[in-house]
Amino acid sequence: MRAVKLKKSHLKGFLTCVGGWGELWGPVKRNGRHVLESIGDIKDIDLTALRTTLPFKKLLFPPKFSMFRYDANGFQDTLSAIPKRVIFGLHACDIKALCILDEFFAKEYKDPYYYERRNRTAIIGHSCIPDDKCFCNATDNETVTEGFDLFLSDLGDFYLVWVGSSLGDDMVRECPKLIDTNVGHEDLKKYIQFQKHRSEQFKRQIDLTGMPDIVELSMDSPVWEEEGEKCLSCGACTIVCPTCPCYNVNDENDLGKPSGERMRQWDSCMFREYSLVAGGHNFREARAERLKLRFTHKLQSFVGKFGKPACTGCGRCIDTCPVGIDIFTMVKKLQGEEVRS
Amino acid sequence: MERKKLDIGLYGFTGCNGDQLVIIHSEDKLLDFFASANIRSFSLAKSDNEQTPLDIAFIEGSISSQEQVEHVQEIRQRSALLVAIGNCACYGGIQAMELGREGWDRRFQSVYGENFFEVRTPIESKPIDAFVAVDFRLPGCPIDADQFFAVYSSLIRKTKPQMPDYPVCAECRWRENECLLLKGQLCLGPLIAGGCKAVCPSHNLPCVGCFGPVEEANVSSEFALLKEKGFTVEEIRRRLRIHSGSGVLKSLKNLFGEV
Repeated sequence: MRAVKLKKSHLKGFLTCVGGWGELWGPVKRNGRHVLESIGDIKDIDLTALRTTLPFKKLLFPPKFSMFRYDANGFQDTLSAIPKRVIFGLHACDIKALCILDEFFAKEYKDPYYYERRNRTAIIGHSCIPDDKCFCNATDNETVTEGFDLFLSDLGDFYLVWVGSSLGDDMVRECPKLIDTNVGHEDLKKYIQFQKHRSEQFKRQIDLTGMPDIVELSMDSPVWEEEGEKCLSCGACTIVCPTCPCYNVNDENDLGKPSGERMRQWDSCMFREYSLVAGGHNFREARAERLKLRFTHKLQSFVGKFGKPACTGCGRCIDTCPVGIDIFTMVKKLQGEEVRS
Repeated sequence: MERKKLDIGLYGFTGCNGDQLVIIHSEDKLLDFFASANIRSFSLAKSDNEQTPLDIAFIEGSISSQEQVEHVQEIRQRSALLVAIGNCACYGGIQAMELGREGWDRRFQSVYGENFFEVRTPIESKPIDAFVAVDFRLPGCPIDADQFFAVYSSLIRKTKPQMPDYPVCAECRWRENECLLLKGQLCLGPLIAGGCKAVCPSHNLPCVGCFGPVEEANVSSEFALLKEKGFTVEEIRRRLRIHSGSGVLKSLKNLFGEV
């Protein structure tokens, strides 16, 4: 990985330049919320955005999309219609989430719908300063070393740009006039200072060490029932979670014709039908059982298989759940701490 | 292989006919709709209605007279499937917001006085399933056109329609709206069946529950949450009862001992 520098005053020019690679997306403010949107005017990008309402996954497997159209003679898939995109402004936690989604969709079993979108997406990350809901320091997501093409760290009047892929390298080389390749000791010092300042900003303290064991020993804990009583089963936690990958597949028939579309739509382990099988048996009839599934998956099973929790510490569930059931409070409760959710 | 076209009937009882109107207003679908089956009866759309045996009857409106009871029973007898469409048919509609409470006679009299009804024998308004078995419910005030045509399309292919098992909140989050509950508003989103695409919260209006309760609505948690936000039990209950009619009686009874 190499690093170069980009003056802040050159950012607009640089984004215009890389915008030639694909449709530019970034965080904008809409009705008081930050959302990832296609960027018409670079001025609309809001770099104060911390966590967008829906995470970046909405671009890699949209909440609802057509997999293919079918009729009596066969099917036509939708893969060729996937556009090339450049996503600007993702934070370290967003990029870590992407690496987690890759484990599901792009490694052992390649999901073509995810994989094609992934391959046609360039990622330009941007550093951030945590707020009172962030806890990425506990999930080892303070910095990223993979999963991006370029990553910009805000060091005052310039960005230190980490080049994370050959595509990123091409992007930098395509705008030679805007890029300063001369990175020196002073810049390194500034970067270290920035990282130190950043890690001092965390307001939440949580330790995820040993969570797989704690979860294993908590299967009979009253915590599940207590939280299950409160849970509204609205699925909001899974919808905003950047690492939740579950989906459902359903055919939408054209009215009265032997044709239609096969749709893929986000599903949630909080929904009643998620664990309902043919014959009418539901493996997780009780809300408490569903919560247990969600949190054991995030904090135990995923760690067992991939060596890290399926949580990036982004704080979206803290921001979203109306009744305060989130990873942070659940971990604290399972660890035996009194917390008010 | 051409399937034999099914025989379909659409009927309206007590309500505003808004659900049938949603179908009629789907101009881009109408030709396909009328070609997709033998539409034997469609009370709002045509006058040459035939009362024949049906594969599927779609019924909107609640039942509010003895004559309607007999009519809906007669339709049930000649229909293989019966689908309640719209909030009135599914849960009783706003005319059923006092359902489960004593004193219908008194309420009726305070509106109509001692008038004698010649052509109708009024009864307390109730949803369709209070009188006949209902196979599917397609709620909404009015119904959502996309959902109607998706369900209709599944049914005429004799496949099980996919109905949302999630509340309005899920659709609201998909649309990246700001959560009105978190803003302290009396939003019924968590209790109410999805299918409306969270249309009200998307316009900054809290959900009033016109799709009726989602199957496993956590009524006690929503009440606790809204009480914490400063609303009284009576305010919440009144809001919930506007549209949820028969759908929330059991939960309210369990929670408060009365509806």
